[in-house]
Amino acid sequence: MDGVKAAVILFVAALLQLSVLTQYPPFRNGSVVLVVLLSIALLRGSVFGAIAGFGAGLLLDVATLGTLGVTSLLLTVAGFWIGRYGETTARDRFHAPYLSVAVVTVLYAFGELVLQFVLGEPAPAGVVAHGIPLGLLLNLILTLPVYALVRRLFPPADLGDRVREVRLLG
Amino acid sequence: MARNRTARVAVLGSSVQKAATSGYPSNRSSAVRRRIVVAVLVVASLVLITVSFRSSALDGVQGTGASVLRPFEVAANRVARPFRDGAGWAHGLINAKSDNKKLRRENAALQQQLLQDEGAIQENVQLRQQLAFKGPPSLAKFDRVNTFVLANPQSAIDQTVTIAAGKSDGVSDGDVVVTPSGGLVGVVDKASHNVSLVTLLTDEQSSVTATDLTSPTAVGEVHRGGGGSDVLILDRVAKSKYVGVGDTIITAGTLGKSALQSMFPRGILVGTVSSESDTDVNPYKTIQVQPAVDFTSLQSVIVLVPKAK
Repeated sequence: MDGVKAAVILFVAALLQLSVLTQYPPFRNGSVVLVVLLSIALLRGSVFGAIAGFGAGLLLDVATLGTLGVTSLLLTVAGFWIGRYGETTARDRFHAPYLSVAVVTVLYAFGELVLQFVLGEPAPAGVVAHGIPLGLLLNLILTLPVYALVRRLFPPADLGDRVREVRLLG
Repeated sequence: MARNRTARVAVLGSSVQKAATSGYPSNRSSAVRRRIVVAVLVVASLVLITVSFRSSALDGVQGTGASVLRPFEVAANRVARPFRDGAGWAHGLINAKSDNKKLRRENAALQQQLLQDEGAIQENVQLRQQLAFKGPPSLAKFDRVNTFVLANPQSAIDQTVTIAAGKSDGVSDGDVVVTPSGGLVGVVDKASHNVSLVTLLTDEQSSVTATDLTSPTAVGEVHRGGGGSDVLILDRVAKSKYVGVGDTIITAGTLGKSALQSMFPRGILVGTVSSESDTDVNPYKTIQVQPAVDFTSLQSVIVLVPKAK
């Protein structure tokens, strides 16, 4: 069930990004797909995050007729890494989604740049560096509503334990 | 009291143990599974990159996938259009007064220009007929496929757009794309069944032979300028040629009797000269061109399909 929910929310996020947000140049620096993916990965762990990242990346690459696999690779690594963070030190930390989005936004931009360079495509580092502050700001703004929505759809797995604990103490 | 303490300890102990194992699997077998899954996905991505980059074996699959996604993108575009129009209307309202004054001035100047141009066109047609002149391909030799932009560039380094027309509409790789107002957008890079990928003129690997409309002997090559802006550079124009600020730059088409035909017909608007200078170290003029097209928010475009196809 979680898989279906993740597929639907990532599909909607990809459509939103491709058809709506890219129409407005300032919003092009942000990535709603990345924020949704990181939120899911934080709540569902590394394996789920990696698979969701691969699927979302493939969807974006197919829709934009870009080089297949580029976005998949970046989002797979991002989903896995943040999933691991969610499984270990980030649990129940308020700042975890914001920290994850901030770090991955910067690393994703440079990762994309490196892949472009390796593939022999134009890789203007200055342009990327220039766009990072705005991208960071937009993604952090998106994190608040997106993480709240994703958390409702994917409630933390250990919430039931805590409820039982309260009942026992009462 | 003692019972409560026991219960608390038991509950806390239980909760700590469960937290380590519930929700996120963390034992040795799941660690191995985790590594295998991520390794498989990374290898799959690398294989996709290699195959997609080195061959066109996956183009069919990708094209089919893009065609399947097209209706969803069209629907999303339609849903977003009222909001986009509303934002445009609000923005237009703020600048309406100054725009109106500016446009009235431009209109008066253009009406005078139109009269002169119409006379020149008639004279040109007559002279061509008398000389049986065979010039480079003009815009009249192309069919126009009107379409809209499905997806604009995805990031700062992406210089491509996806359009909602493909091979089923007669579009093929290498076709020229312009805006409805006639500005040069770029070239079709990959045509699928009913969507196509267009590489913009602002891509670092794009360039087009162009000339100054008022000084046709000043021929050069337009390509992307440095930095993050969308300013273009008209390169390789000899210092002896005159190019003034405000001049209109158009595509030059095929030059002379070259066997290699330019894919761009002559006369497509590229932009206007925003600055021009000479330096001792550069054998050519340094000419900056402000593009006629806003590449950041393209809504609809026209694909020029050669009639001879």
